[in-house]
Amino acid sequence: MTINWWTLGLQAVNVLILIWLLSRFFWRPISAIIDQRRTAAATLLSDAQAARTQAADALADIERVRAGFAQERADILKAAQEAAEQARATLLAQAEADAEAVRAAARDTLDQERQAAARTWRDHAGRLAVDIAGKLLAGMDGTGMGDAFLTRLVGEISALPPDARAQAANGAALTACTATALPTAERERYRQRIVEALGRPATIDFTVDPALLAGLELRGPHLAITNSWRADLARILQEISHDDRP
Amino acid sequence: MNSPLESTALFHLGPVAVTAGVVVTWVIMAILTLGAIAATRRLSLTPGRLQSVLELVVDVVDSQIRDTMRAEPGPFRAFIGTLFLFILVANWSSLVPGVEPPTAHVETDAALALLVFFAIIYFGIQAGGVRGYLATFAAPNAIMIPLNLVESLTRTFSLIVRLFGNVMSGVFVIGIVMSLAGLLVPIPLIALDLLTGAVQAYIFATLAMVFIAGTAGEAGGEAASPTERTSP
Repeated sequence: MTINWWTLGLQAVNVLILIWLLSRFFWRPISAIIDQRRTAAATLLSDAQAARTQAADALADIERVRAGFAQERADILKAAQEAAEQARATLLAQAEADAEAVRAAARDTLDQERQAAARTWRDHAGRLAVDIAGKLLAGMDGTGMGDAFLTRLVGEISALPPDARAQAANGAALTACTATALPTAERERYRQRIVEALGRPATIDFTVDPALLAGLELRGPHLAITNSWRADLARILQEISHDDRP
Repeated sequence: MNSPLESTALFHLGPVAVTAGVVVTWVIMAILTLGAIAATRRLSLTPGRLQSVLELVVDVVDSQIRDTMRAEPGPFRAFIGTLFLFILVANWSSLVPGVEPPTAHVETDAALALLVFFAIIYFGIQAGGVRGYLATFAAPNAIMIPLNLVESLTRTFSLIVRLFGNVMSGVFVIGIVMSLAGLLVPIPLIALDLLTGAVQAYIFATLAMVFIAGTAGEAGGEAASPTERTSP
């Protein structure tokens, strides 16, 4: 057995070349593609992990926002309920106040209308009473009634202070007014009685005023004594009116 | 039948006699290189069937390097992997009628072992420098220097003898049986020869890894040597 050194050298060179060739065309490309795939897989895993983390964060954010929504919804509902309650109470109070105001206004209007109606009816009644009284007086005996008015006039004069009586009869002309014309004798009797009541002589003229209905009034520059049904009825009507006013 | 112990020169390139083993080696080189170029021309991130097989081969080689050398496979992948592939294909080339595997000739095995010898030196110096590499011969003490020197030679020689003996004997036996018993009888022996060829390729690559890792580990001053120092 002999060793061919040329062959040995050639084979060594051949194997070295083959190592280089396979390194260049086999080992390096395959290992590179394996590394590339590993890197891609790692990147994918990293991205997936990042996406998962991001999704988890987003989910947590959504949960937080949802919890916030629920809390906010509860707050809004509570606030709305409170506002509605408050508005309802305000509206009720306002409605009650308005209703009370309307009722008061209606009451006032009713009172005013009732009072106006009462005044109207009272005026009508007064005028009707005056008319009735006038018609009744027209058929009555004037002498007895005239004496009654004379007596009341004398009483009025006597009730005046002495100074007032003196001033009234101090040379002034007085006018006695009756509803109907008096006979002369009656005039004289009336004049005598009035002079006696005044306590000094006085000039008294007689006039007729049917508007008096019935009565005897004495008028002068310093004296005016109303003594007639017209005056009485007017006073009574005034008193009634004053009594009805609030 | 030619004796496997003799290399017949097919032709001469000047003073260089080109034997059949060299020519077969060239053919194997061409097949492996062209096949690699063709197979790796369209690599993609979503591998097909062929790419999956190739990646499986690379992954197995890488895992063997990691397990045996306890190191990243990058610097050793091309050397160890090519040794394995070449020896495997060379051993199995005996299946082609009329072809003698190059590894059945001692020159090819010696060339392979010589490359491993220089690779041990290269990776040893790369790991620990020249001083670190030379210091490995004085481990565990200076008395061991002669023994370590002898060991570095004998383990290389053991690589030659182991591979040459197994492959050559297989070819020799099959040749004898074929000459005696006809066509079908050698088939079990051929199958056994295939198994032997694969095992020998694996053993050669593994021993190369062990020797390189042992020297590189000692030269690198690692506290825990990645592998036991293996005697041939």
